[in-house]
Amino acid sequence: MTRLPPPFGTRIDRERPLRFSFEGRSVTGFEGDTIASALAAQGQMALSRSFKYHRPRGAFTFAGAEANTLVQVGPEPNVQADLRPLEAGMDVRAQNVAGSLAFDRDAALGSFARFLPVGFYYRTFMGPTRDAWYRLWEPRIRAKAGLGRVDPTRPAAPGDKGYLHCDLLVAGAGPAGLAAAAEAARGGADVLLVEAAPEVGGTMTFATQCDAAVRAEAVAQLGLRVMMGATVTGVFADNWISVVQERTLWRVRAREVILATGGIDQPAVYFGNDLPGILSAGAARRLIRLFAVAPGQRAVVLAATPDGLDAAEDLRAAGVEIAALVLPRALPGHDARVAELGVPVIEGRIEAASGRMRVRSVQVAGRQIACDTLVVAAGQVPAWQLPCQAGAVAGADPLTGRMTLTLERPGLRLAGTVAGTAGHAATVASGRAAGRAALRALGRPMTTDEPAPDDPDLALSHWDQPLTQDPAGKDFVDFDEDLTVRDIINAVAEGYREIELVKRFTTVGMGPSQGRHAALSTARIVAAATARPVGAVGVTTARPPAVPEALGTLAGQAEPSERRTALHARHLALGAEMQTAGAWWRPFRYGEGDRAEAIFAEAAAVRQACGILDVSTLGKLEVRGPDAAEFLDRLYTLRYATQPVGRVRYCLMLNEMGAVIDDGVAYRMAEDCFYVTATTGAFARVWSDMAFWNAQWGLRVDVANLTGAFAGINVTGPAARAVLQAMPSNIDWSPAVFPYLAGREGTVAGAPVRAMRIGFTGELSFELHTPASFVPALWDALVAAGAPHGLRPYGLEASRILRLEKGHILIGQDTDALSSPDELGMGWALAMGKPFFVGKRSVELRRRLGVARRLVPLTFPAGTAGLGESCLVLDGGRPAGHLTSVAYSPTLGHSVALAFVPAAQADPGARVTVKGRDGRLIVGTVQAHAFVDPANERQAG
Amino acid sequence: MKRTFPLSPGGAAAPEAALIGAAPGLAIKDRTDWPRFGAKGPGAADWMTGAWAAAGGGALPAVNRIALVPGLRLLRLGGNDLTILGDAEAPAALAAVRAAWDGADGARGWSSWREEGWAWLHLSGPALPGTLARLCAIDLRPGRFSPTAIAQTRFAGHDAVVLCGDGACEALFDVTVTASVLHRIVQAAGAAQTIHGGGMP
Repeated sequence: MTRLPPPFGTRIDRERPLRFSFEGRSVTGFEGDTIASALAAQGQMALSRSFKYHRPRGAFTFAGAEANTLVQVGPEPNVQADLRPLEAGMDVRAQNVAGSLAFDRDAALGSFARFLPVGFYYRTFMGPTRDAWYRLWEPRIRAKAGLGRVDPTRPAAPGDKGYLHCDLLVAGAGPAGLAAAAEAARGGADVLLVEAAPEVGGTMTFATQCDAAVRAEAVAQLGLRVMMGATVTGVFADNWISVVQERTLWRVRAREVILATGGIDQPAVYFGNDLPGILSAGAARRLIRLFAVAPGQRAVVLAATPDGLDAAEDLRAAGVEIAALVLPRALPGHDARVAELGVPVIEGRIEAASGRMRVRSVQVAGRQIACDTLVVAAGQVPAWQLPCQAGAVAGADPLTGRMTLTLERPGLRLAGTVAGTAGHAATVASGRAAGRAALRALGRPMTTDEPAPDDPDLALSHWDQPLTQDPAGKDFVDFDEDLTVRDIINAVAEGYREIELVKRFTTVGMGPSQGRHAALSTARIVAAATARPVGAVGVTTARPPAVPEALGTLAGQAEPSERRTALHARHLALGAEMQTAGAWWRPFRYGEGDRAEAIFAEAAAVRQACGILDVSTLGKLEVRGPDAAEFLDRLYTLRYATQPVGRVRYCLMLNEMGAVIDDGVAYRMAEDCFYVTATTGAFARVWSDMAFWNAQWGLRVDVANLTGAFAGINVTGPAARAVLQAMPSNIDWSPAVFPYLAGREGTVAGAPVRAMRIGFTGELSFELHTPASFVPALWDALVAAGAPHGLRPYGLEASRILRLEKGHILIGQDTDALSSPDELGMGWALAMGKPFFVGKRSVELRRRLGVARRLVPLTFPAGTAGLGESCLVLDGGRPAGHLTSVAYSPTLGHSVALAFVPAAQADPGARVTVKGRDGRLIVGTVQAHAFVDPANERQAG
Repeated sequence: MKRTFPLSPGGAAAPEAALIGAAPGLAIKDRTDWPRFGAKGPGAADWMTGAWAAAGGGALPAVNRIALVPGLRLLRLGGNDLTILGDAEAPAALAAVRAAWDGADGARGWSSWREEGWAWLHLSGPALPGTLARLCAIDLRPGRFSPTAIAQTRFAGHDAVVLCGDGACEALFDVTVTASVLHRIVQAAGAAQTIHGGGMP
């Protein structure tokens, strides 16, 4: 099919043809076309099939207002064919078809429509057996559900995110938006104008009375920031506006916002109103003016509003035969235009449309009229989605019946059609007024308001079309969900009188178009059925996003947020298998070869010689000030006021429920300064709590987060002291001078260190903390000095085994949200004589209730298999606890575990039944103490 | 003893050092090894008032403001949280302040270890506006963000202290996320360059 000659086709570049395919057939369009306009130029109006009955559907508005245009483009589903710019090589296919667009096996579903009323699925799929839904129906329905096909093998196409700021954001660059933006920019405001189309102007781009060049010139002179092809998708609190432009999500903070989002052409409701080839007046004009496409050869025009006359004039100019102009009501003031058209005029309404893949005839006043195009001007509704997100209340004008929006929110205004205008002059004036109001709010008063011009088109802009159900059905109210007039009436008859309930029962407005064509008709049907005014029925809640968004756009770039210790490169150089622990990268084990062998060798090195572990991920805090000890006394369960300088003390932190939330150590470096560690996983919580309590208590304390500033290395094993003594240092490492739980400051191999006699392995251990930039060199010095002593680095997994052999708990793994110190056997860590610590009162109250479960060490016979963390502990065959940690102990030669067991089974020697991963029952024995070195001789050595 | 910073050879983000020259339209300079010193806690502001005057400065700036003397920038991050940024080419000025603090008696606050805890990147170039628009929610445009202001905010997905002026931006952030931040900066610069020629919509 040939294109119309210029000046038609303002958006296409006839010199740049683009070849693509639709349903496997080669098609040619032009640069500037959309997929749908290029197909329309070939006479292809059907694009996809409908959701429920698989009826052929095509674009109605050519403005992105309906789901009928969703197509599959290559691997990308749900592409709006009437908005997506055409690209060469596109492989476009219809969606929701079983077979092909032309021959869809599921089209037979339409024959069973009378057996598939709304809500049928709530009742139909309950039988015939009790679990028929799961076994029989659900798989079949799921196979049919959904639109389009996602290719799970397709590489991720991450989106992008950014932030923008402006004095004024104007959504919509139609007559009102342009006028508002221009007015505000002239007044000195920093204006961001957001327009979904590839050019500004809105209806002016295809309206005969407006000159596109004038529009462009005005914008250029003003120097506005204009975002083309960008859509406002959400209006949030404090004028936080989301804008999607291609694959980028812009989060805009605007001091003032003007919504000038225009109107949405509405369909008329009659039998067969969904056929391809039935277009809104705006759609016909867009095709002709923007894309040089004559919508058909012989058209019928329904002119319930003057827009129909505009469309008829354009159709005539495009050489389309107008078979009839249908006037369902008088259009006062437009008689001359009707006469000027010189076409057959029928007073009446469209009663039915017929055709298979495209409309072939319409019935008007009992007459069949052959046509291939039906153009409908049935009025508009304001694009209420964004205003209603912002809190606008939808109603209806009592005189005209037109849908109205009332918005009273500081910093946010409506302009143009959404503010209730219809004619061009009134719409522009509305925009100017909104722009001036925004300027005043910005403290930039400009000129006084101008009186609003008359809006003669307003009275005729809305048509209260009859909404009686057709006995044969197929009078669609909601194209997305294939809902007819009868469906809405039946829902009300079921007792769903409120619009929100009607929505939930029928799914009206739930489809991709979110009720853009259905809301007003549904409200009018419900109003009539419940004998209420339309304004009292309203519309359903509008929520972001206002238009479909790709999940990849919301996800943004997939750049991971990761933390590396200062020793990261050392670990990699040693061939470490790195693993994430929260945001941190940590060495799981070193070297290649058999995993278990490597881990057991690392553990053995610690037990027999010396190992070093990067503990830089520990939370590290300095608590300093005259009240530092008092602060820790309130925050942790032990006493710190009495802690001598140079000593290290265990720290146990509870929440106000008396549950354990963290542990660590506090090294008193001075009377007024403690160096405190926290677990890697809980540190963020500890830091937040410390800041909170410091503000609450108002003590003379400063807390500094040194987690990144300091790094740590644990030197552990029987040879640990010998290794350190082999290094240049001003610290005396001898046990008499540096005993267990002591802390010292000094230098080691030139690095300033804070050394603590603590460890997690049960062996003789020194933990060296040093400013992060010094730690690589310190690590190298330790490796060199330790080589003669058999020193080797060990990883996270060996560390977990070693600590389990010693019976140390891991907060978060061996505890849950309710674990009390008494359940964990840590009553020794509670200084209940203190007047206060966080959680003390809850500990006292919980002690009155008794302890129902305890965390105990368990051993299992050698060769036991099938154990795993979270395996259930059974009591009389019922779940009564679980394993929190379990591992094979290379030191002992059998598996060991920590487990929550009923208190009655917690005594040493008790036999506990565990359900293994394979379902077998395994018996373990409760131990009285740590598995390794119960007398603590090794770590105190 | 040799100090190693994340982007130094052998540092935690050493492989990412190659990214520094890979951002289209954006010059990235690593200043993590530049001198700086922070004091924090009760007594810090009182002590710094005298020290700043001795360095040739006037009154302490307000919170989230910067004061300048040759070779030094004093950042007031809180009532009793102050950090002085030095100049690698003129380190003596900062060294003098640090020496005075080390030798001071009485209340002087405590070290906040900014020289160890922070990474420090300097960004400039034609892609800077578009890059910043993708990294930070604050309006950092010239004319909107004062060159004497401090933004304590999120930058490249992490907590950061951000300074902007003279067509450049500096970000100071947790040293352990250097690699992650650098990746995001380069990615943002690439997106900015691709879509808007480095500028903003």
